[in-house]
Amino acid sequence: MSAAESSRVVHEADVCVVGAGAGGAVVAAELAEGGARVVLLEQGPRHDIDKFSARPPEMLGRLYRDGGQTATLGSPPILLPLGRGLGGTTLVNSGTCFRTPPAVLERWAGEFGLDVDEATLAPCFERVEKALSVAEVTPELAGANALVARRGAERLGWSHGYLRRNARGCVGSGVCVFGCPTSAKQHTGITYVPRAQAAGAQVLTGADVRKVRVDRGRAHAVEGRLPGGRRLEVRAPRVVIACGTIHTPLLLQRSRIRDASGQRGRNLSLHPATAAFALMDEVVDMARGVPQSFYVDEFASEGMMFEGVAGPPAYAAMALPLTGAAHARAMSRYRHLAQFGLMVSDSSRGHLHVLGSRPVIRYSLSREDLAKFRAGLERLRQLFQAAGAREVYLPLPAGVTPASACADDLKLMAFHPLGTARADARASHGVTDGDLAVHGVEGLYIADGSVVPSALGVNPQLTIMALATRLAFHLLDREPPGGASRPARDRRDGSAQADGKPRTQELTCPS
Amino acid sequence: MSAELERFIAAAPLPQRLGLRVLLALASRPRGMALLARFPLAQQAAFSTLALGRYDDPAVGRALGWNAEQVVAAGRELRRSEGRP
Repeated sequence: MSAAESSRVVHEADVCVVGAGAGGAVVAAELAEGGARVVLLEQGPRHDIDKFSARPPEMLGRLYRDGGQTATLGSPPILLPLGRGLGGTTLVNSGTCFRTPPAVLERWAGEFGLDVDEATLAPCFERVEKALSVAEVTPELAGANALVARRGAERLGWSHGYLRRNARGCVGSGVCVFGCPTSAKQHTGITYVPRAQAAGAQVLTGADVRKVRVDRGRAHAVEGRLPGGRRLEVRAPRVVIACGTIHTPLLLQRSRIRDASGQRGRNLSLHPATAAFALMDEVVDMARGVPQSFYVDEFASEGMMFEGVAGPPAYAAMALPLTGAAHARAMSRYRHLAQFGLMVSDSSRGHLHVLGSRPVIRYSLSREDLAKFRAGLERLRQLFQAAGAREVYLPLPAGVTPASACADDLKLMAFHPLGTARADARASHGVTDGDLAVHGVEGLYIADGSVVPSALGVNPQLTIMALATRLAFHLLDREPPGGASRPARDRRDGSAQADGKPRTQELTCPS
Repeated sequence: MSAELERFIAAAPLPQRLGLRVLLALASRPRGMALLARFPLAQQAAFSTLALGRYDDPAVGRALGWNAEQVVAAGRELRRSEGRP
């Protein structure tokens, strides 16, 4: 055997899943428990919770891709932090769980021809919510930061409530986005990945997947590198790509997968977001309690959603939109600072390029979305003032008011990239079909935010997981438990093709 | 600059890494600060990064009511006592 062959690692599986975040981990676990032989590949590491330090700069560098400093190019530039490791971004998100809004599902059915509605997705949502222990935050755990927003919303008569989260045994450590030190947050790295392994799936971390091999229109293997430079090959008749909205299109491109729709890497929505601070009379101690525990959805129909956000002093100091002595003065009153966020359901659309092997993300705010930020920042000011704030610090340069702000005045971040391999029943309009099969390639599927065809207006992790659950049961040729039965041959992906042959091979899974 | 902040900057993609280092170098000099004041976004980026490091100091955090070590120790104890992952 040559040295090259001895350094090559080869696995065989029924399904190879690439990426262990919100989509990939769910697909892998459901398939493995359904009896399929699964190999789950993750580029990042398995993080050691004992090394979570609750210190923002250290944890940003460790848990996030690019140290959390991935950014878009455009007007304005937007920071786009992405998680890296088993659990993907679910490891570092705030844990907020919303089902896909019914109006969004109706739009998907009408505009993209997707066969999804509340009733058919309900069993998938229920299954995910049970797996992740999703429950509403209690007022006791929500912390004083939420109380400030609640008081303001109540005085203004705005619709509001406590958020539902995937947490169990949470004690309000206040550092969800810097690595939960109590393992209360039920991210996929400690829920679905262990389930997949218990059911026999092989999980490889540090696996840098370079290519999906496609032969005569059919995916049949995945190639990559393991730590130490060893070559990796996973031979599988089905491949599920779940690298996330930014990296899935890159893998498709590297693999030279034909894109008849021209939509690969396009249609990027982000839910751009910002946040304001307020100085309160009472002690808030924003990092005590669940940082994202409360929402105000009074203006959700106008594309503006307000959600809690908070963190320890280092985080607050970084986010506070002040400099010099004003910053020092505000930080000296850190215990009295409250913070609340504004997220916009965007109509702006960005796209991806590749430079070298890195993604270049282009995204500029549309006039319509700028108007939402202007209105939303004014609403945030109202919310804090109604709550009794002494001062409100809006994320705008000195002398700029919400009404006069231009796009480049805004200090934005985004946490929900979606849509770069969007699903559409028509091959001419989408990268995948309604069952998340890549158009024109047999045996190749996508299960991450990239398939979500439009902005949701709410946090997307539950939508991604429900769609991944639906895909897994589709591949197993079963309905999710509790799901209404739908004849397998009626499915939109054309399980039976024009020639009458099944489009997908049956998995040999014990029932 | 603390080791934690240095690692945070080192983890950034090359363009941001270079840009941040230039901004931080400017922010460390009076004339550089005066220059940055003419570019509010750049000034805010430099200031935010320096603030991230400064307020991450455990002593500064404790003075503001935040004790990261205590949070981590409590989490470790909870995981041990309840058999969490």
